[in-house]
Amino acid sequence: MTDDKSSKPESKTGNFSRRDVLSITAAGALAAATAPISRIASAQAKKPINISFWTFENPQQRPWVHKRVNMFMEKNPNVKVDFQYFAFGDLGKKVSVGFATGTAPDGFVSQDWFMPTWQAKGLLAPLDVQRLGYSSLKTFTDDFAPAFVAGAVQKGKAYGYPLWFYGYVNYLNTKQFKEVGLDAAKDWPKTWDQLGEVAKRLTIKEGNKFTRQGFKFAMHTAAWTMFQFNAILHQCGGAWFDKAGKCTINNAAGLKAMTIRASIAKQYGAEDPADSIATGPLPQMDWLKERASMFFCHPIPPAAIESQNPKMLSEGYFRPVQYPGVQAGKGYTTTYGFNLVVNARAAKEKQEALQDMYKFMMSDLGDAWKDTAPFPPARKSGWADKPEVKKFPYVDEIIIARDRGVALPQTVVYNELGDAVHKGIQQIMLNNADIQKTLNEIAAEVDRATAAFKPT
Amino acid sequence: MPGLFTLGGPRRIRFHQRVQLWGIGFVLPTILFFAVFKFGPMLWAVGLSFMSYDMMSAPTFIGLDNYRNLVADPVFRASLFNTLVYIGGSTSLITLVGLGLAVAIKTRVPGARYYMVGMFLTNLIPIIVVCLIWRFLLHPHGLMTQLLHPFGIQRVDWLTNSSLALPAIIFVTVWRFAPYFMVVFLAGLLAIPEDYYEAARLDGANAVSRFWHITLPLLAPTIFFVVVVSALLSARIFLMPYFMTGGGPGNATRVLSMLIFETGFSYLKMGQAAAISVVLFAIMLVFTFAQMRLFERGELKSVG
Repeated sequence: MTDDKSSKPESKTGNFSRRDVLSITAAGALAAATAPISRIASAQAKKPINISFWTFENPQQRPWVHKRVNMFMEKNPNVKVDFQYFAFGDLGKKVSVGFATGTAPDGFVSQDWFMPTWQAKGLLAPLDVQRLGYSSLKTFTDDFAPAFVAGAVQKGKAYGYPLWFYGYVNYLNTKQFKEVGLDAAKDWPKTWDQLGEVAKRLTIKEGNKFTRQGFKFAMHTAAWTMFQFNAILHQCGGAWFDKAGKCTINNAAGLKAMTIRASIAKQYGAEDPADSIATGPLPQMDWLKERASMFFCHPIPPAAIESQNPKMLSEGYFRPVQYPGVQAGKGYTTTYGFNLVVNARAAKEKQEALQDMYKFMMSDLGDAWKDTAPFPPARKSGWADKPEVKKFPYVDEIIIARDRGVALPQTVVYNELGDAVHKGIQQIMLNNADIQKTLNEIAAEVDRATAAFKPT
Repeated sequence: MPGLFTLGGPRRIRFHQRVQLWGIGFVLPTILFFAVFKFGPMLWAVGLSFMSYDMMSAPTFIGLDNYRNLVADPVFRASLFNTLVYIGGSTSLITLVGLGLAVAIKTRVPGARYYMVGMFLTNLIPIIVVCLIWRFLLHPHGLMTQLLHPFGIQRVDWLTNSSLALPAIIFVTVWRFAPYFMVVFLAGLLAIPEDYYEAARLDGANAVSRFWHITLPLLAPTIFFVVVVSALLSARIFLMPYFMTGGGPGNATRVLSMLIFETGFSYLKMGQAAAISVVLFAIMLVFTFAQMRLFERGELKSVG
C-alpha cells in the first residue's frame, strides 16, 4: 500500500457523516463476527455423519483415544462420534454381540488376535492406505513391525491401522537383585536355565509359604497365559499348528516349551502358582507389591507403578530386560497390539470419515507418547526420535522387544486355543498333571474346535 | 359389537361366558408378555440347537450335529458332571442347614433373633462382593486355612486344587443361600399348631420323635419347595464359579451355565450353546418332576 493510496480514504473520510462511519464500522464488525460462523456453516453444509466407535478401557490409552476423537470432532463439526469403551476382556464379546444384533460399531479398536475371526467372516472393510497418508501398501507395511503386518494385512489389503503394538519384557526388581548379591545390569537372566537359577536365589520361603517368589508367571487369565507362553513355544522351535491346521502343541518342541514353563516352580521351586494377588486389571500386582522379583509384562506406565508402589518409582529400583532365550542372547518375546478397524457393514461415507479420523488420531504420535508412555506406537516413524521418547528410561528395551517379538497365532479358534492352554497349564502347575498327556488333551480340544468352525 | 355384553336379544352371551371373556381379557396381556419374552426365546433356543450360528452370519440347519459334538466333548461331560455334583451337594446342604437353623431359632436358643438377622445379611451382600471376599478367605494362606493351624494344617489350596475347588464353591453357596431358606423353613415351622407338640409331649414323645413324626411330615410341602427352588437355583449357578475359579483348575469347577456362556459368546458357537441350554433345561425338568413324584408318593403314603 503506497502513501498515496492510503491517503485517499483518509481524505474521503472527512466527507462522511457520522451515521456513514457508524454504518461502515457496524458492517465491518458484522462481517468480522460472521466470518467464523460462515466457515462453520460451510462445514455444516456437509452432510452430517454420525459414527459409533468403541475401544477398551485402559487408564492411559483410553483417555488419549477419547481426546483425539474429540479433537477430530472439533475440526469436523459435521462428524459426530458416539464414543464408548468397555473392559479389556469384554470388548471382543461386545463387538461379536453387536455384529449379531446389528448394533456393531462403525469403527472399533480390535485386539490383533481377533483379526482373523473378523476377517474370516468378512466383517472388516479394507482400508484405503492412501487416505491414511501412505503412497502404497508397501510403504504402509514397511512402516510397521512384521508381527503387526502378519495380523492386519490379508491378500494385498490392509484391514487394520495399528495403534499400539508392544512386546513383553522381563521386569526386574533391582533392589532385590542387590539384596542377594546380584547386579541386575549384568546378571539379568539371558537363558531359561539362568532365569530358574536367579529366581531360586531371589526366592524367600517360610516353611511352605513363599514370602517372595523369585519369578512369577501369570495364572489369572487365558490371555496372559498365551502372551507369556507363545514366545517360549517359538523359541523351542515349536508352532501352534501345522500346515494342515492341526494343533501341534503336543509335539517334542511343545513338550520342551511346557517343561521350561513348568520348571521355574517344579525344578527350581522359585514360584508358587497357587499364590497370587494378581487381578485382570493389574496382572503385575505381585511384582509391584514386591512379592515377586521378576515378571514378564507389557511396558508398565510410571503412573501404574506409582499407584501401587510409589517408593519403587521414586527410587527407580526396577528395570525391564529382554526375555530369556533357549540360547543366550537370542531371547525374544510375544508381540501383540491393537488395530483401528472399520466395520464392513458401515455406510461408505462413515467408512471414509472413520479413516480420516484414524489418520488424524495417528498424526501426532509425540502426543500419544506424552499421554501413554511407555506403550510404543506400532508405527516405526514419527515418534521414536523425539527427545521425550529418547530420554524415557529403558525405552530401547521396549522398542527392541516390540521389533524382535513373535506374533500370537493367527487362528479363527484363538479363544478356544487360549482357554485350552490355560486350563492345561492349570492342570500341570496346580494338579501335577503329566505334561505330555495334558498337551495331547489341549491339542485334541483345539482340533475339535477347528473342525467345528464353519467359515462364512 | 352392539349387544355383545347386553342381556336379552338373539346374540346375547351367557353370564358365565361373559365372566370368562373378562377373565381372558385380564390375563391376556400377561400371557402375551410371557409368550413373547419367555416362551418365545425358549422355543427359539430349542430351534437354534439344531443350527450352526456364529451370530454374524445367518443360521444354517445342521440337524443333530450340535448334540453329537456335545456327546464327544470331554469338556461338556466334565461340566455336566460338575453341575450334577453341584446341584446335589448344594441342594442337600442348603436344605439340611436351612432346616437346622430354622429349628434352632424356633427352639429359641439364646440370641436366636440376632443370629437370624446376622445370617440373613449374607443375602444382602452383592454376589460379586461375596465372591471377592471368599477368594481372599480361601487363599492358600487365608483365614480359612489359618483356622486350621491349631490342627497342624499350614496350607490348603481350597480353590486351586481340583478335588477341593468344587466343594469350596458348594460351601460358599450354602453360606450364602441357607439363611434365606432358613426363613422359609421358619415360616413353615411357625405354621405348625403347637397343640400337636403338646399332645405328643403328653404321650411321652421325645424331641426326636416329635421332630420325626410331627415336624417333618407337616413341613413336607415346605421342604419340597426349598428342594426344588434351591435345585433350580443351583442348576443355573454361574457367577460363583466364574468369579472365584474361572471354571478351573482345568475344568474342575466348570458348570454348564459357564460352558453355555463361553461357547456362545467367546467361541461364537450359538447353536452349540443352545444345545447345552436344552440339556440343562432337561436336567431341571427331570429333577423337578422326580421331586414332584417323590413328594406326591410321600403325601399319599401319609394319607393312606
